[in-house]
Amino acid sequence: MKANLFGKNIVITGATSGIGLAAAIELARHGAFVIGVGRSQSRCLEAENEIRKVCPQAKVSFLIADLSSLSQVRELAGNIRQCIGESGKKYLDVLVNNAGTVSSWYVTTGDGFELQFAVNHLAPFLLTHELLPLLKAAPAGRVITVSSGSHYRTKINWNDIMMRKRYNCLMAYKRTKLCNVLFCTEFNRKTGTGQGIRAYAVDPGLVNTDIGLKGTTGIVRWFWKKRSRGGVEPAKAAASIIHLACESPERLPADVYWKDCKPQKPSQYSQSEEYAQKLWEISEKMCGIQIV
Amino acid sequence: MKSLVCITGATGGLGKAFAVECASRGWDIFLTDLSESALSRLSASLSNTYGVNAIYRPCDLTDHVSRTELFEYMQVNELRFRSLINIAGLDYEGVFCDRTREQIRTILRLNIEANLEMTYAVLKIRDESQPFRIINVASLAAYYSMPVKAMYAASKRFLLNFSMALREEIRPIGGTVTALCPAGMPTTPDCIRSIDSQGFMGIVTTKNVGFVAARTIDHALKGHAVYIPGMLNRVLRFAGGLVPATVVAHMIGSRWNATHKRNEPLVSKTT
Repeated sequence: MKANLFGKNIVITGATSGIGLAAAIELARHGAFVIGVGRSQSRCLEAENEIRKVCPQAKVSFLIADLSSLSQVRELAGNIRQCIGESGKKYLDVLVNNAGTVSSWYVTTGDGFELQFAVNHLAPFLLTHELLPLLKAAPAGRVITVSSGSHYRTKINWNDIMMRKRYNCLMAYKRTKLCNVLFCTEFNRKTGTGQGIRAYAVDPGLVNTDIGLKGTTGIVRWFWKKRSRGGVEPAKAAASIIHLACESPERLPADVYWKDCKPQKPSQYSQSEEYAQKLWEISEKMCGIQIV
Repeated sequence: MKSLVCITGATGGLGKAFAVECASRGWDIFLTDLSESALSRLSASLSNTYGVNAIYRPCDLTDHVSRTELFEYMQVNELRFRSLINIAGLDYEGVFCDRTREQIRTILRLNIEANLEMTYAVLKIRDESQPFRIINVASLAAYYSMPVKAMYAASKRFLLNFSMALREEIRPIGGTVTALCPAGMPTTPDCIRSIDSQGFMGIVTTKNVGFVAARTIDHALKGHAVYIPGMLNRVLRFAGGLVPATVVAHMIGSRWNATHKRNEPLVSKTT
């Protein structure tokens, strides 16, 4: 077992399959205490067994939450605090916002948001907000959000952020990935480099996972089946996550966007201070975060 | 408080879409459906996101006592309404003789009785300073007699017929009634599976709920009598109207029989 992350605790959402599971396995092999999050009890159990098969001494715990529900995200944050407390620590070293979803049709969550927007953007936004005190207390806390190269050449329609009126599955997905980068941009601007906490957006490239098969029908499903075959294995895609999690506290890099363990320039739109701030304010309202 | 848009069936797939659309236009809303927790969650979220008043009250619209309590709540709190969107409705798909008596009563109570009573009660406490808009969610099924969905299609035809008549009655007070007649919509996982199983025709006739809600309100604000979302659906509806009704009913029945390869007779033998 590599010991670079020994003594560190790491939360990773969407840890029961795909990139999340691959990253959880690797992080556990590096000695971290991994808190995985998934939607279904049975799949969490399977994932935990999978991790222990590869790494019998792994320190791993799974928590269940449906990230499409804001109240479940808040409850999850509470459970994470409890889990960390019970492990004897007073802070969280790394939060990996990996869970993502695709939906062919416009589906409204119980909170009234479009499903992809709720899971891919609002859940990471709210979870990071809830866990911020724990992350700031760490020597070099970091928030790693899995974005995508599909954020390039994408813009947001500020009159209909969630594409409610003219929903297009792929465009809506691309916009949520753009939101991931905008979120990181604004997070870093707000927290500043002096506070020892940093947000990163990871571009995993095209990966052979089931993301395009779980909430989709017809054409989208067929398209993903074909396209994902050209993708890399989840373990390779998880490399940037591991790299950023392992970076030493003294050398937390400033670059926000990462691919294949190297910094890369994200789109100009995603770096816009104006748009990043606008999305942040809208997201705060949606999550019911009172601005003091 | 500003006058409200009342939405029944507000926590269902289409209901949420209408609730979000109304809130996004800055309208205060009044939501009702069966589940208090779902209503509470949705209204808090819409209030936070759009800065509107979102009041809710759970109600079992199939139960006349529960309906009475709802109307009393509205009166006691001196609520005034600018619009009513009747979405609550259901179907028990399957041949008529396989239904239970309870199911028969429930479809009538929810799809027809509740709609009429809500319309009656809310009209009496309308905001008279502006045109009162009613939207009744019917269905494309309203235009046809549909074996296996016989009660559902008939109840939607009732709504369509009634909507057009009421529209004339409330015209003098500046009110309008718009009947929404959609094809299938991707609201629940079952609906989505059903659309998926229809292949190409499923994809081209299906519209997303966000689109349907937005466009329906646009049509209601113009006082249009009927809105069928999707150009293809409008064309198919026109074509279907040229064919004798009994022929259409037969075609629908045969198609269902073919898909389900039914071996027993549709009506059980008497014992």
